[in-house]
Amino acid sequence: MSRKEKFIEGAKKGIPITFGYVPMGIGYAAIAIKAGMTPLETISMSFLVYAGAGQIIAASMVLSGATAMAIILTNFVVNLRYFVMSTCVLNQVEESNLPLNILAAHVTVDESFAMFSLSEDSSIWVYLGIAITAWLSWCLGAGIGVVILDLLPVIVTNSFNISLYALFVAILIPAIKESKQIALLVLITAVLNVVLGQFLGNWSLIVSTLVGAAVGMYIVDDEYVLGSDE
Amino acid sequence: MMDYIALVILGCTIVTFIPRLIPALFIDKLNFPPKAEKFLNLIPYTALAALICPGVLTVDNQLWYIGLIGAVVAAGLAWKKVPLGAIVILTVVVLISVYSIVPLF
Repeated sequence: MSRKEKFIEGAKKGIPITFGYVPMGIGYAAIAIKAGMTPLETISMSFLVYAGAGQIIAASMVLSGATAMAIILTNFVVNLRYFVMSTCVLNQVEESNLPLNILAAHVTVDESFAMFSLSEDSSIWVYLGIAITAWLSWCLGAGIGVVILDLLPVIVTNSFNISLYALFVAILIPAIKESKQIALLVLITAVLNVVLGQFLGNWSLIVSTLVGAAVGMYIVDDEYVLGSDE
Repeated sequence: MMDYIALVILGCTIVTFIPRLIPALFIDKLNFPPKAEKFLNLIPYTALAALICPGVLTVDNQLWYIGLIGAVVAAGLAWKKVPLGAIVILTVVVLISVYSIVPLF
């Protein structure tokens, strides 16, 4: 297959992701606009940052008047997982080079990583097809969001806010199903975040994510950890 | 003095891109001790847990149970191995339905 055919094959595989990303992008735009961001800022953030949860959190923190430093640090910790995902993806791809690796790194998110890692593919072009489709649909969602936000009934935009959480839950459930240890770790971290939130406010997400992972070192067997079979 | 929003976007762009970029630059040279790798591999689970709870309860600032209903619906669908895209769409549809009947009570 030519590069172009592989890219198109990947793009087709990425289509299910767009079903989630477009409404999610609209949901993000709703929060960003509510937080006082302009349409250009809202779309730019999707293009440049490209981190679903990170962006929603950033927009929510702007809305609640957090300092820029707190928002940036929170994003750093929340998005640190992309380091692992980027490493896994780039280990898997063949026939790549530095510029392609850098592009692939930027478009690595939970869904593109998960879909590619679970496939037999090793072509950088298939990966770029999946991941760029997802990236553009996320930007498209933000673009649609800032245009039609005023036209949509409030119950619809409010309902879109759930789409990111639906995706989070949907990603977590298979791991919880497979391992009671992961389920316990998720429960501990969730409770920790609620408790720490009373004292640390916006910082509790960072702290509970790291403390949770540290706790996980002791309560989760190596075999249940993502990527450990490689 | 830089605009607050521009600073947030620029800062988030940099701190999000760097972790993604490092493997691209050093993929052939990177070699973590297993413990560090395990710690990093656990971050997605704990980050997702912390993101969901209690954030999901603030999906609607007035009606906390809206987010809870959405989370339960999504979890149920995921348990039944419904595809990711369909889970998102169905959860949104369920919430729109819930919003439609809330005023009746």
